Amino acid sequence: MIAIIPSATLLGVEGRPVAVEVHVSNGLPGFTLVGHPDPVCREARDRVRAALLSSGLTWPMKRVTVNLAPGLLRKVGPGLDLAIAIGLLVATEALGPEVVAGCAFLGELGLDGSLRRVPGIVPMVGALDARVVVVPVDCVAEAAVVGRLRVRTATRLSELVACLRGLEPWPDPPGPTMAAGPAVPRPDLADVRGQPVGRTALEISAAGGHHLLLSGPPGAGKTMLARRLPGLLPPLEGDDALVATSIRSAAGEPLPPTGLVVEPPFRAPHHGASAVALIGGGTAWMRPGEISQAHLGVLFLDEMAEFPRTVLDALRQPLEEGVVRVSRARASVAFPARFLLVGATNPCPCGEAGPEGACRCPEAVRQRYNRRLSGPLLDRFDLRVVMSRPAVADLLGGPPGESTGVVAARVAAARERARSRGVGCNAELPASVLDEVAPLTRAATAILEHRLRVGALSGRGLHRIRRVARTIADLAGAGDIVDEDHICLALGLRADVIAPEVAA
Amino acid sequence: MTRPSLSSGSGVAPAPAAAPATAAAGADGTAAAAAAAESHSVPAAIPAEAFVAALAGLPAMGHRRLVALLRRWSPEEAWRRVGDGRGHDDDSDVAGLWCRAAATVDVDDLWLRHGRAGVGVLRFGGPWYPAVLTDDHEPPGVLFHRGDPAALDGRRVGIIGTRRCSRYGREMAHELGRDLAASGVRVVSGLAAGVDGAAHAGALAAGGAPPIAVVGSGVDVVYPRRNAQLWADVAAAGLLVSEAPLGAAPEPWRFPVRNRVIAALSEVVVVVESHARGGSRYTVDAAAERGRTVMSVPGSVRNPASAYTNALLADGCPPARDATDVLVALGLSTAGPGASATVTPDVRPAPDPLATVVLDTLGWEPASLEGLVLRSGLSPGQVMVALAHLERDGWATSRQGWWERVAHG
Repeated sequence: MIAIIPSATLLGVEGRPVAVEVHVSNGLPGFTLVGHPDPVCREARDRVRAALLSSGLTWPMKRVTVNLAPGLLRKVGPGLDLAIAIGLLVATEALGPEVVAGCAFLGELGLDGSLRRVPGIVPMVGALDARVVVVPVDCVAEAAVVGRLRVRTATRLSELVACLRGLEPWPDPPGPTMAAGPAVPRPDLADVRGQPVGRTALEISAAGGHHLLLSGPPGAGKTMLARRLPGLLPPLEGDDALVATSIRSAAGEPLPPTGLVVEPPFRAPHHGASAVALIGGGTAWMRPGEISQAHLGVLFLDEMAEFPRTVLDALRQPLEEGVVRVSRARASVAFPARFLLVGATNPCPCGEAGPEGACRCPEAVRQRYNRRLSGPLLDRFDLRVVMSRPAVADLLGGPPGESTGVVAARVAAARERARSRGVGCNAELPASVLDEVAPLTRAATAILEHRLRVGALSGRGLHRIRRVARTIADLAGAGDIVDEDHICLALGLRADVIAPEVAA
Repeated sequence: MTRPSLSSGSGVAPAPAAAPATAAAGADGTAAAAAAAESHSVPAAIPAEAFVAALAGLPAMGHRRLVALLRRWSPEEAWRRVGDGRGHDDDSDVAGLWCRAAATVDVDDLWLRHGRAGVGVLRFGGPWYPAVLTDDHEPPGVLFHRGDPAALDGRRVGIIGTRRCSRYGREMAHELGRDLAASGVRVVSGLAAGVDGAAHAGALAAGGAPPIAVVGSGVDVVYPRRNAQLWADVAAAGLLVSEAPLGAAPEPWRFPVRNRVIAALSEVVVVVESHARGGSRYTVDAAAERGRTVMSVPGSVRNPASAYTNALLADGCPPARDATDVLVALGLSTAGPGASATVTPDVRPAPDPLATVVLDTLGWEPASLEGLVLRSGLSPGQVMVALAHLERDGWATSRQGWWERVAHG
């Protein structure tokens, strides 16, 4: 007797449908699992056997062959356990084939017959072609995000079998709080005292999608500012939200209470992170890296110069293309990776270098530190801001700054203008249309000409300055023309935070 | 300045009568050596300076041991004793070390190499050795040099300071070097990055009195490398000396030792900028031991690079506000401060009202854009427009995101 149960596995951040075929025949009792399972998946045999027995069901004393089709696709993880168990029950005629018709199964089995959560439910359910999907209780909220399939759940295998047989009613899906991560209120920009330039740069970064580098001594508030950037970005909508949800699900991270990820993600990997952790990949399965988990949100690299240079330089290609292709011997996967990069760095190892002469580090040490950030990477930062520690009076008293809500409204309006030019944000404006969408006043042109003439600005830098100035003008509601003060502010927010060598 | 000018062959022991003329005619050390050798009747083919150079190259040979040797014996005798393992009476280990090292040295070849490199040798007790060092309580046993030792004749002021100076420090060093050299005062410094190099660059720019550099590495080992042009210029216009033998690397211990030579060669030592625990302390201590006047350039109390100079002022050290203060200390001028400043009209366009506000806010200390916005109460955009205009017209300059006011002149 043969049973075919639909299920799915994960390839990168995408789900792939898998047909679990179970064949039971007379012969020497045995169990064969074929169809390119990874080691975890191969262990399904032992988990399924124990789960069946502890659920009061019988393990057939027959020849059992389980095939996971398509055979070429590598099946990762324990998510097929449940489908294999159900397939066995159907193939041994413990369940009628009609009760599982159009029904897909996803989940790991415990030895006691309990159903356990697996990562990547959202993309896997999205890949299924079925009417109903049965998932573990913890995964109901994730599975419901897709919306196309009816989601059913059970806590144990025995309960599931009883429900399928119609002996018991299906349990109600749990409330939305079950699988939710703790709801942490987003930090508000009103908490930031002083820092007028840092705040301005943050707003421009959010409005124009410009990568931002903050340089300053410890305690200047770099991290505090960066953590408030996602709150300024517009919430994710439509496909964007689904993609972000899929990535978070595939990474095995908890989803927000509502299921769908609508807040732009914020990822802040430690500087000990490896290139694979940042980019994606891995030996066990193709896991999305930090840059993909920051897709459509913010990737914050604190202490940027402490990251190994090879790790940082691996960011350059995804920064350009918005997608990272990870190729391994077994598979090649493209992860989405369109993120806003925010870097924070100390000006030197001692952190005290403000103006020249202030730092305690030997010149050679400082140069070695600065060399960690390669020129091409630094060039990707449209905004480079020097921060200093806020004054005590600002910290203790002082008026609170504008709140996130006020600034986010301006950002949304500016982004709306950018969309009218046919791009998602001004950072994506091609150089060829700059003359058309960002014409300069005479005074603005004069400032740029002077910078170019004295060699303080390169051709590529010029385009970047004009894009940032476009965003500044959009935020100011200044109309189509880019004026002198927009250009000057854009220039001022692109400081050469890394020193060239000083000749005596 | 009565001595004949010698291009590089002054390391030669001059023969009694006609030696100055002969040496002056010799184009380089080798020719001069040959000339000197002819003028001696005995077959002393190798001059005394060659033996001193060989002695200086021995391991564990500091300036005290070298001077002790030269006080006791003639250089030839000292070299012979070292070769026999009798170089050190009290320490047989050192004597053995010297003996083994000396066996590998060919003095003749060594001397030729000095000639080829254009490097002269001034030995303790030798005729061209600077008199001011002879009386020192810790004199160098030898000074390798490029350029003209006659540059030492005249008033000399040491200008020292940190390598990690601020723009203010670099400018002050440059101005002091320039104005002192223009007044005929020789600028003595270490040719390091930062203050030292700026002082020498200023002295060269003035084209007045020849600059004098005392370096820590061998005179043929340029350090820091980016100062290579400055080294060459100083050697061409003035004098470049070092206690270290040819090829000696700029090891850290050589610099404090070098600093005492700067102190000994200077009549007045001016500290331009130095951190609280900077290397300038060694020079100042050495100058104080020798009774030299130490002057200090006042700086902002908020600038860590001025921490030591301001501390010196607090200790009663006279301030060096400009070259005139130093000239007064030398007894060369009785004018009040500011008299040496040549008055040139300011040709920069006057800043517009907004820029004037920002320029006043900027003051004379480096400020970040953020600091200017907070202090002026203007928006970041307004401040940046003003700064862009100020920078274009030469009133302000920025580096690494920090803005500084540019002084007139």
